[in-house]
Amino acid sequence: MSTVAGHAPSFPSRREVIEHVRALGREVVAVMPIHYPRAMLRAHRLHPIEIWGPPRVPRVEGSRHFQAYTCDIVVKATSFVRSGGIAGTKAILVPHTCDALQGMASVLGDFLHPEQRVLTLYLPRGRRTSDRDFLREELQRLGAKLSEVSGHQPSRADWMEAFEAEDAADAALADLYRRRERLAVSDRHFYQVIRAREYLTAEQFCEAATAVPEGNRPRTGVGLMISGIVAEPLELFDQIEALGAHIVGDDLACGFRRVYSTSMRNDPFERSASRLLKGPPDPTCGTPVRDRIEALQTRMRALGARGLLVYDPKFCEPELFDVPLLRKHLHEAGFPVLHVEFEMGETLPHQTLSRIEAFVETLS
Amino acid sequence: MTGREALPHYVESTRLQHFVNYEVVGKSALRVQRWRDQWKLATRRPRPDSPLSPPLRCVAYMKEIMSRHYLEGRYAAGVRKVAWVTSGAPTEPLQALGYFLVYPENHAALCGVRRKAQSIAEEAEHAGWSRDICSYARTDIGSMLSGKTPAGRLPRPDVLVCCTNICQTVLHWYRVLADYFGCPLVLIDTPFLFHEAHEHEVAYVKRQIEDMICVAEEIAGKSLHEKRFQDVMANARRGAELWLEILNRSQHRPAPMTAFDGFIHMGPIVDMRGEAVVVAYYERMLAELDERIDRGIGAIKNERYRVLWDNLPIWFKIGDLSKWLAERGVNVVASTYTYAWGELAPMIDPDHPLDSMARVYLHPILNRSTGHKLESMKRMVDEFELDGVILHSDRSCKPYSLGQIDQRDRLVKKLGVPALLLEADHNDPRDYAEEQGSNRLEAFVETMEARA
Repeated sequence: MSTVAGHAPSFPSRREVIEHVRALGREVVAVMPIHYPRAMLRAHRLHPIEIWGPPRVPRVEGSRHFQAYTCDIVVKATSFVRSGGIAGTKAILVPHTCDALQGMASVLGDFLHPEQRVLTLYLPRGRRTSDRDFLREELQRLGAKLSEVSGHQPSRADWMEAFEAEDAADAALADLYRRRERLAVSDRHFYQVIRAREYLTAEQFCEAATAVPEGNRPRTGVGLMISGIVAEPLELFDQIEALGAHIVGDDLACGFRRVYSTSMRNDPFERSASRLLKGPPDPTCGTPVRDRIEALQTRMRALGARGLLVYDPKFCEPELFDVPLLRKHLHEAGFPVLHVEFEMGETLPHQTLSRIEAFVETLS
Repeated sequence: MTGREALPHYVESTRLQHFVNYEVVGKSALRVQRWRDQWKLATRRPRPDSPLSPPLRCVAYMKEIMSRHYLEGRYAAGVRKVAWVTSGAPTEPLQALGYFLVYPENHAALCGVRRKAQSIAEEAEHAGWSRDICSYARTDIGSMLSGKTPAGRLPRPDVLVCCTNICQTVLHWYRVLADYFGCPLVLIDTPFLFHEAHEHEVAYVKRQIEDMICVAEEIAGKSLHEKRFQDVMANARRGAELWLEILNRSQHRPAPMTAFDGFIHMGPIVDMRGEAVVVAYYERMLAELDERIDRGIGAIKNERYRVLWDNLPIWFKIGDLSKWLAERGVNVVASTYTYAWGELAPMIDPDHPLDSMARVYLHPILNRSTGHKLESMKRMVDEFELDGVILHSDRSCKPYSLGQIDQRDRLVKKLGVPALLLEADHNDPRDYAEEQGSNRLEAFVETMEARA
């Protein structure tokens, strides 16, 4: 088993995971961000590997289909799909996260016709009974499509096994966040493990999560909370530490926003729906901004954060609408906010670092 | 004690203001203004050098109707319950309950047409809202924060109704409004239709409309009267049918109106759908268009090329673009945008209001796939005998714009129709490069000339 290079934690590469799940009789499905029913895929003998706009993929091919004002995640993922990046997968699942991903799913299905089936999932923007009932039926519809893709109709035992495994991985993720303060690893290491959930199997993720060592690792400097969609490149965390700060918690779509509460309902679709609707506040799910602010304040106080770094890819409307209100209300509560937008690439622009440095200095 | 005696003083005062300033003085003044406009339109000698025919006479009525609507808005608070709604929201029950409706999008467009949008949007930008969010939202948030508006004053909402059938942006935008005004926000979430609507999607929307009615009844303090609701639905259907007929009149050569006229005349069907005045207005407009067709009068004097406009208009450039294109013999005779308020008319069923509303409000073009939009454009190219398509790549409206690159390619390669992707923004002049836009339009016209 190879490992990701450098000082990274040790877990399988994507290629190895694909070989592993195929050996287990599962096919691979490429999945776009953010929320989707993992256990449901597993019950259908499918394994999700997520695409968050791969950083080393040039925009060119995606730019042939999307305007310059489209977010990098969509443009780069389209480039990735068009350049054969998901060859060998059975389908691509695009949850309805925002207008940009809606456009991507539509363009893929209507015009680009990849060899994989394009599956969609509409995620309701409320948390009402009607939303849960709708989502349950929407998942049933998706389930029928998944059966067509995999050729497998899950039995009750398949569902039970899938929920058990994925609930355990969800619990391991939540536990990592609970133990964060006691973990003897850097922020970069921590988020490498968190983000490994994007492609590892549930068992592999549990193993990786429990392998993160605890111990005395004095954390000096200013504690920050980080919010947004995805924090890339991972070098960001090294630079933040070098600037005399560290991350005490996050409100990232690729991180804490996917710490779901477990549901114990009998019906598998209802259970999946309930899980998806029980995540932390998330603007892409239509959470009222006040709820998000209150949740952030509570966690920032509990974790000892001194300020909030909102770190977003360009053109992310769900995030951009919240920023002024986050800044206003958190500032009033004594938490300064810095908003930084970035273009997904391999390197971190110096300008971004200068702004974060100045922010850290004001908090010191 | 009568109910009237029990009213607090401020309610009496606002009712008096409403009665005097709107019912008596305002309506009379607007009527006089309309007579003056009519007289001007009737007596103005056509400019021989203008590439455009004289404006439609009915525009004076439309101006009166729209001005009256905004004028009533100034005095509506405390007299009628006020709902701020998205342009695709199912408003018929609110109409039937007597709500005064404010359409922030229409208000933002008004700011755009009056070329006030940039300075108002800057108020929102100064407060931290990014230039990368929708310019309608920035305009309205800026107006909300600063009070600046060419409409005089907008009444404070008692309830916000947000329907996601035009974009997800409206939800984020209305969350900001709800936070600011501290009033209830009713969400009508409409699943995006990649293919045909599934029954669970229709049922979901219907259930939310039922929930909206409960909230609206509670706020209004009265129940929805079934007969009144059906009347509103019947008016909504008749208004939408007439609007569709009006748009389809441009299938004639020469077309009696341009899509730019359509952008302006769509105000009543967007803002007052379900009211009898809309039906009366569009009957008048249709009659005038038929008169033009009988007399062979086109909206532009020398119609050489017929073109489709895709997406929202560039509000701050409507007049200039209309004239610029007309000078070159180009008549923009149809648009996918104006069609959105007419093409669903056959689905409206006053006898089954809730079921039909659920279907209607799921099916606007903006809530359907990029492939469906391409098919709509192809159909319009055929039915309107079009020579080209202008796809406005609208920086502010991503759901409408994403997919246009492939749509354009297919129009050009598979249908052989010249198509131009014009980069701009519906409300923010900073995102329209005049010189570049003109050059691209010039090249587009040359392509059509070469094919002629």
